[in-house]
Amino acid sequence: MHKFKSLSLATALVASMIPGSEIQAADPVKGGTLVIGTTQKPRHLNPAVQSGTATAVPGTQIFATPLRFDENWTPQPYLAESWSVSDDGLSITLNLRRNARFHDGEPITSEDVAFSIQTVKDNHPFKTMFAPVEKVDTPDAHTAVIHFSRAHPAALLAMSSALLPVLPKHVYGDGQDPKSHPANNNPIGSGPFKIVEFKPGEHVILERNPDYFIEDRPHLDRVIVKHYKDSNSLTLAADKGEVDMYPFVTNTRNIGRLKKNANLEVTSQGYAAVGPVNWLAFNTKNEFLSDVRVRKAIAFATDKNFIINALHGGFSQRTAGPVVPGSPFHAPDVEAYDLDLDKANALLDEAGRAKKDDGMRFKLRVDYIPGVAEQQKAIAEYLKPQLKKVGIEVEVRAAPDFPTWSKRVSGHDFDMTMDIVFNWGDPVIGVHRTYTCDNIRKGVIWSNTQSYCNEEVDDVLSEAGVEPDPDARAALYRKAQAIIVDEVPIAFINTVPYHTAYSKKIGNPPISIWGAMAPLDEVFKTK
Amino acid sequence: MAQSDSTDAMIQGGIPKAEHPVSEAWRMFQRNTAAMFGLVLLGFLVLITLIGPLVYSVDPFEIVWAPLTPPGQEATAPLGTDYLGRDILAGLIHGGVATLAVGLAAAFITVTIGLTVGALAGFYLGLVDDILMRVTEFFQVLPALMFAMVLVTLFSSSLTVVAIAIGLVSWPPTARLARAEFLRIRNLEYVSAARSVGAKNPRIIWRVILPNALPPLIVSATLTIGTAILFEAGLSFLGLSDPNTYSWGYMIGSGRDNILDAWWAVTLPGGMIFITVLAVSLIGDGLNDAFNPKLRER
Repeated sequence: MHKFKSLSLATALVASMIPGSEIQAADPVKGGTLVIGTTQKPRHLNPAVQSGTATAVPGTQIFATPLRFDENWTPQPYLAESWSVSDDGLSITLNLRRNARFHDGEPITSEDVAFSIQTVKDNHPFKTMFAPVEKVDTPDAHTAVIHFSRAHPAALLAMSSALLPVLPKHVYGDGQDPKSHPANNNPIGSGPFKIVEFKPGEHVILERNPDYFIEDRPHLDRVIVKHYKDSNSLTLAADKGEVDMYPFVTNTRNIGRLKKNANLEVTSQGYAAVGPVNWLAFNTKNEFLSDVRVRKAIAFATDKNFIINALHGGFSQRTAGPVVPGSPFHAPDVEAYDLDLDKANALLDEAGRAKKDDGMRFKLRVDYIPGVAEQQKAIAEYLKPQLKKVGIEVEVRAAPDFPTWSKRVSGHDFDMTMDIVFNWGDPVIGVHRTYTCDNIRKGVIWSNTQSYCNEEVDDVLSEAGVEPDPDARAALYRKAQAIIVDEVPIAFINTVPYHTAYSKKIGNPPISIWGAMAPLDEVFKTK
Repeated sequence: MAQSDSTDAMIQGGIPKAEHPVSEAWRMFQRNTAAMFGLVLLGFLVLITLIGPLVYSVDPFEIVWAPLTPPGQEATAPLGTDYLGRDILAGLIHGGVATLAVGLAAAFITVTIGLTVGALAGFYLGLVDDILMRVTEFFQVLPALMFAMVLVTLFSSSLTVVAIAIGLVSWPPTARLARAEFLRIRNLEYVSAARSVGAKNPRIIWRVILPNALPPLIVSATLTIGTAILFEAGLSFLGLSDPNTYSWGYMIGSGRDNILDAWWAVTLPGGMIFITVLAVSLIGDGLNDAFNPKLRER
């Protein structure tokens, strides 16, 4: 058994070194049930109208997408057996598999793809994913041609994972609002597993789709997504072997605990696309924070090394810019704002905020998202004594629940706030929104709530958004990030240390860029 | 003042006065070992809380050493550090003021509301009694912790709001007690006597009935301090304490996540709360015993 495991691991390793290769199991075992534990409870199972990991994990099992991605950011055929991007980047042609059928037996046609793109464009919170789509032509039942108003290199990624589930038009095309469609709780897709039972707050039971369009897959008979009340009880369940897989482990003490379990593997792979950044955002309209020197001073006064190593036990990773390490668009050489209290004091003096008699300069409030204490509350509380060292009095403003925090921050009623924002694979989807001038939208959380506006950044970002050449695109993003980091609308701290713990019985664990938010058709379980 | 005292003397003139009731109670209280132990304990805690910060002036918010250092390992933080590396000893010493203040403030609010409502209801009876008692029942059937959580959530989790919230949810028993006492006393002869010499209602309530209704209310108020401190700890445990004021409750709330790795961050402030509540309860019981013999004699 041990030998077997190392063999499959070795294969995965080799496969990961060959770009574009699909991972093939050494000798996958048929059958078995995979129990996935989660604390994220979905409201429904239709990712076309709902973002977030809660819907995405079961959603990607039920719905297939045109493309999928491997762990090297390389697109792979999925529902589309091949695709081509026109030279000007203004259209993408998808050639769909001819044998693909929905779970109810209806064939999948280009009509369904066109319908799905329109549904996602109209209803999904990530407006930028398909905003440039002008129309989708369907010359025949198995060809879909997507026309864009401008080149849109992010489109390929937006056609993977949970972002573009291909919905059955014959179910969702009945004129009902897709956001509240009755089928959302009992969806018909074309993915490797079909829905058996969805009990909100308890579990989602999925079973093997025997007519899956990829031969000999999936390997598992059943996938059960089991909902747990909190991460501590889920950690204990994983420790005891009640669940086979626990994706999105966040608490570093839980990670440490699971790592000690000889029956479990724990990996940080599988979160490159999610790209969760933990940061301190500034309201640049605040009387003190409107001065870039004050924002820089706070960035210099915050000891990222202490946060990552002492508070997070070394499990989280430093990110100095908006795009996470592990993304092709990461900027490794931006100013890191390493701890420097003298510099922070000097900057504050320079900004004209001299220390008063009591040694303090001014007072700021800091908010945080409740519920992810280690990433958010702990750092907010850390800032209180830490910024006192440079003469800034910090009032920690606790929010009893997420809506309260969200209302404050989206309403621009805050000075500084801790926040966690996802990259979502392509900067067009998850990064632009935080910095562009036209996305300063009061009332919308995770928009540009910092009220940061720099036309140069806007220009570079919009140029990067349409640049078809990957290298030129990466260069543009590095340029934009250098400016953003220099102007500090946000003090970047760390990546959220998402880990996946899985039983050693599991072969081909989900380690692609989308992790468990991707079809688990290759995963198998030994006896 | 002098005039009213003489009026009281006149009203209560018939009753022989062997000893001043307060000194008699104090004598009874002194005989009670447990109660004296409670008093000494409380005195000790108040001393730590008031003098401690002058002697041990480490800022409880300051990060002094590596996070989650166990007690007895590092001289900088003799009782260990919490999850941020803050000194537990400094927290214990500096956190007492806020905890005791919340307890006192909440008890004060409880007694103020409870006494007012109970006195008015028990004295005036009729419609006033009906309305006030329905209001009391309304508050009585609300789950206290839930209601306090709602209040703290609605406003903010500042210490003031926490104290007010605790006061607002704990007054009904006091009101009931006060009403019962007023009901009992309002028909006694000395009240009739006061009325017959022309005392107005407010005067009868304030100067005649209240002093005689006080003993059980004092006991209840003392015990309320203990309950209020526990209540604050409970709210903190649920993460609803004020993060800008160091209190024992806050220490428990912030240490809770790491209870498996760092027992000291929760147990030590928990112990302080335990001792405080124990001291207050012992004193309350002692007061009860001290006041009761007098009632029996009568």
